Amino acid sequence: MPLQPWMKLISVDDHLIEHPLVWQDRVPAKYKEQAPRIVETPRPGHLPIQSWRYEDRDYPYIGLNAVAGKKPEEYGLEPVRYDDMIPGCYDPKARVADMDIDGVQAMMCFPSFPRFCGTIFLEAQDKALALLCVQAYNDFVLDEWTAAAPDRFIPVVILPLWDAQLSVQEIHRTAAKGAKAITFPDLPQALGLPSVHNDYWDPVLSAAEETGMPLCQHFGSGGTNAIPQIAKDAPFAVMINLMGTNSMHSTADWMFSPLLHRHPKLKIGLSEGGVGWIPYIVERADYVWKKHRYYQNINKDVPPSELFKRHIHGCFIEDEFGVNNRHIIGVDRITWECDYPHSDSFWPASRKRAAEVFANVPDEEVHRMVELNARRFYNFPAAEEAVSVAAVG
Amino acid sequence: MDSVEQIPEDDWTDQDLLTRDEAGRRLEAEIEVVTGELAALRHPDPGPLELAEITLLARRLAAMKAARSDLRS
Repeated sequence: MPLQPWMKLISVDDHLIEHPLVWQDRVPAKYKEQAPRIVETPRPGHLPIQSWRYEDRDYPYIGLNAVAGKKPEEYGLEPVRYDDMIPGCYDPKARVADMDIDGVQAMMCFPSFPRFCGTIFLEAQDKALALLCVQAYNDFVLDEWTAAAPDRFIPVVILPLWDAQLSVQEIHRTAAKGAKAITFPDLPQALGLPSVHNDYWDPVLSAAEETGMPLCQHFGSGGTNAIPQIAKDAPFAVMINLMGTNSMHSTADWMFSPLLHRHPKLKIGLSEGGVGWIPYIVERADYVWKKHRYYQNINKDVPPSELFKRHIHGCFIEDEFGVNNRHIIGVDRITWECDYPHSDSFWPASRKRAAEVFANVPDEEVHRMVELNARRFYNFPAAEEAVSVAAVG
Repeated sequence: MDSVEQIPEDDWTDQDLLTRDEAGRRLEAEIEVVTGELAALRHPDPGPLELAEITLLARRLAAMKAARSDLRS
């Protein structure tokens, strides 16, 4: 049994649903009417819809229910209310209880209303309020969500992406409070931000290096302009099938970017994109680099595969091809995820599913992929190790 | 050939959540599985490893039953 009982599963891609007072509890009184708040909209024959309002914009739902409890022929997306969700969506203590049932020791939770990397605040009319909202979210994550069980949650924070210097300040402010990772758009150019080929990001990446926090690029965080453009009459399955290609695109950008050469300590996590595609795109990058580097403004000395090994790691829920090719990818570049509380997770049997996925993998390699790599990337030592490091320090 | 009717919402936002109903159904299924696993392990002369596994499974089963009960309330 390669997944041994003593191995602690650490998931690097999960989500939290912000409770209604995350921003209302934290912004100054003069901003409460404009900060994100829950509004209830009557719906004939049903309970009112709960949705977010931010400034004068309405966002249509707090969560969706596509398949739960329905026959396949009834699938469709409906807004859900807080009452419909399991409490583990928005209550950290209930989350820990659900993790115990699922056999998961720790997880890293991405935002929901702010989107995966806080890009909702790029839409703000009042950027002073937007900065307060970014800080309020991060304070919620650090002071409330992860503080409920510090050895069970890896705190990941959002940035005021519209301003590199403010982002640097927020990285240092949150690192001092215990943040471990930064969530960052997978394709920033699709949001109207500079791409990762632009020196706009240099100070941000330096701050990430200085604090040891990885940039986590959740696929889809570049917004609707970044997603694969499928035919209007194609089933949504085509889109779902192509989701990992966003992570391929991000990887290709980094491997030909000048930024990694200037930021040798930068760590990049690709969240939810799977890992099976990695050998192909990295090999392809090396072919391209060998043939085409001399007439382009790209580094002439370090092959893309070397940059991948130095900087990038991926994660998966189920990816048999990726696990079978783990030695080509690099066992130390692979982490595990369970994607709670989204309905494609295997809760409450994530550990059982992981045991199946790793059935033919040696114990020592399984341990690295399910626990040790995540602890190293995210500077998240086991509680007993953290105590002994503190004692020595 | 009929055209495919697209879901109107953009679920790229990936916010399809585990609802109480769905979670309850999943718990019911897993409780049944674990109950069977426990029954298979319980025999008159269990070894130390089996006893440890029985303890862990019994603890998880109790937690799942409590969670299912909470979701119903």
